[in-house]
Amino acid sequence: MDTAVFRLDGVTKRYGDLVALDNATLEAGANEYISFLGPSGSGKTTLLRVIAGFEAPEAGRVHFQGRDITNVPAHERGIGFVFQNFALFPHLTVVQNVGFGLTHGKSGLTPAQVEQRALEMIELVGLSGMEGRGVDQISGGQRQRVALARTLTMQPKLVLLDEPLGALDANLRGRMRNELRAIRERLGVTFVHVTGSETEALAMGDRVVVLDRGRIIQIGAPGQVYDHPATPDVAHYLNRFNLFEGKLSGGQFTGPFGTVAVPSAVKGDRDVYAVRYDRMRAVALDAAPTGPKIRATFIASEYLGSAVMNFFDAGDGHVIEMEHHLSLGAPQEFEPRQDYLLTWNPEQAIVFGREVR
Amino acid sequence: MSATPTIQKRQSNTTRWLLAPGIIWMCLFLVLPILMIVYVSFWTQTTFNISSDPTLASWKQFFASDTYTGALWTTVRIWLIVLATTFIVGYPTALFVGLFVKSKTLSTVLLVVCVIPFWTSFLIRVLAWRPMLGKEGAINIVLLKLGIIQQPIEVLLFTELSVIIGMTQIYCVFMVGPIAFMLSRIDRNIIEAARDLGAGFGRIFWKIIFPLSLPGVVVGAIFVSVMVLGEFATSGALSGRKVNLLGNIIVTQVGSLKWAMASVVGVCLTVVMGIVIAGFLRIVDLKREL
Repeated sequence: MDTAVFRLDGVTKRYGDLVALDNATLEAGANEYISFLGPSGSGKTTLLRVIAGFEAPEAGRVHFQGRDITNVPAHERGIGFVFQNFALFPHLTVVQNVGFGLTHGKSGLTPAQVEQRALEMIELVGLSGMEGRGVDQISGGQRQRVALARTLTMQPKLVLLDEPLGALDANLRGRMRNELRAIRERLGVTFVHVTGSETEALAMGDRVVVLDRGRIIQIGAPGQVYDHPATPDVAHYLNRFNLFEGKLSGGQFTGPFGTVAVPSAVKGDRDVYAVRYDRMRAVALDAAPTGPKIRATFIASEYLGSAVMNFFDAGDGHVIEMEHHLSLGAPQEFEPRQDYLLTWNPEQAIVFGREVR
Repeated sequence: MSATPTIQKRQSNTTRWLLAPGIIWMCLFLVLPILMIVYVSFWTQTTFNISSDPTLASWKQFFASDTYTGALWTTVRIWLIVLATTFIVGYPTALFVGLFVKSKTLSTVLLVVCVIPFWTSFLIRVLAWRPMLGKEGAINIVLLKLGIIQQPIEVLLFTELSVIIGMTQIYCVFMVGPIAFMLSRIDRNIIEAARDLGAGFGRIFWKIIFPLSLPGVVVGAIFVSVMVLGEFATSGALSGRKVNLLGNIIVTQVGSLKWAMASVVGVCLTVVMGIVIAGFLRIVDLKREL
């Protein structure tokens, strides 16, 4: 039995010589919030457009609600798409935008029914009282809601959102994050959310799909991806790890910090030693820490409210970041351009190596 | 003392200086001449003389004569027909150039191609239609050779039809340009969004594409209208003097030094153009759209 809402089987998409998607396989259940995380050019938007039907894959199949929809045109798929720049109809009012699909599609509803459905949806996204405004007379966050309402009136079982929060300012982004989740929970449909922001992906997704150069490199719950990144690239995109290149051999990792014993390592395409920002500690040069250590120059610190980020230069422009949560006490004070020893508990490091089987 | 009033004063001075050249130019060479024409239209014209004694004689003569009122209606008729033909030929062209051609470079190249005829002089462009449309012209020769017709089609040249064909070709690009510009500014995502919401091509065209291109249609229509209403060369060269537009009357009257009558026709033409432009501007709020 096929319980998945949608399933991708080995989807491949090329633009000339560029491979935008390489054999992507993925399954999503009903009532799930999935986020696609990846740097720009990783193929996450292409993947979304293939699911929506705006792009045809060269190979592979797309299944939706147990049906092969690879060759079904976009508008017959019953999949909603929310565009990055919202793509609202600029000459129509809010209610006309929201009702567009019902008015001009195959809904068979009377104008009065269309208006009623549109108004219900406008209320759901919290825009009551704005129905008659032109879409250039409302704010960015409100436009985002109109775009969402316009898609949701069609009652899709799957909603695809292409960097929906990218066009909003930071404050609004945080609020819309909660709203999106709440709206999704109320409707019980599956959301697929594309983002370049690791905090957004981790905060919003029930599952996170990490993409790199057209390939899906990890699928997992946010906590799992965060604690056990599958490859050095995932660790890199999460933007939470200091990565050290080096060599893993015989349970010993040799990096810029010397040679450290490695109790367990993960198979990787290259040898990388990763330490989370909040696992780093800095001590004075004359202290003698027991663990691995690397000498680095303090550059600057950034106050983030709940934590302080300290930046150190380990030479050759390799910046090491150290996060100090303020709940753990007052932050250490560092002298600019002074050298310190950075150290960590080697048991908390994640090591990737080619020699691991 | 605050500095704000000084800054405001300086700004309003700057505004005045920036506006002055344009205003002086327009007053000297537009407003003043128009007032002059209105004034001269009330002058007394005799066969060899003109005096500034006010009279309505020229105005009465204009509206009493079938030749003059006929020219007015011919002008309006030809204007409406050419407006329609340039729109019918121009809109699909603009749709192709502005919306269907995905590459910006290619669409620029295509627009330049549309402008190539303007590399030759206006008169050559008009006269080039004669060997095309004439009794022994290219079109008739081809049709005769193909056996589609037995007798050459004579209605092609020196008729109202030839004037319309000529004007459509010359002014079409002024319709294509503004429409293509507006169409190229439409966000492609909007069209994809409409399609995703289940609207068919016809609905998307009539509910999204056409309304969004309307400002371009209005600007194009204004360009074409202003030029066609003031036309005299195309009708002179391609109608064999059978089609007289208001422009042709002005040329003849000025040629025979009938300044008062020429002014009356000029005032009528200006009023017609004013009404037409005001009418078009009511359709869309250009200030908001552009």
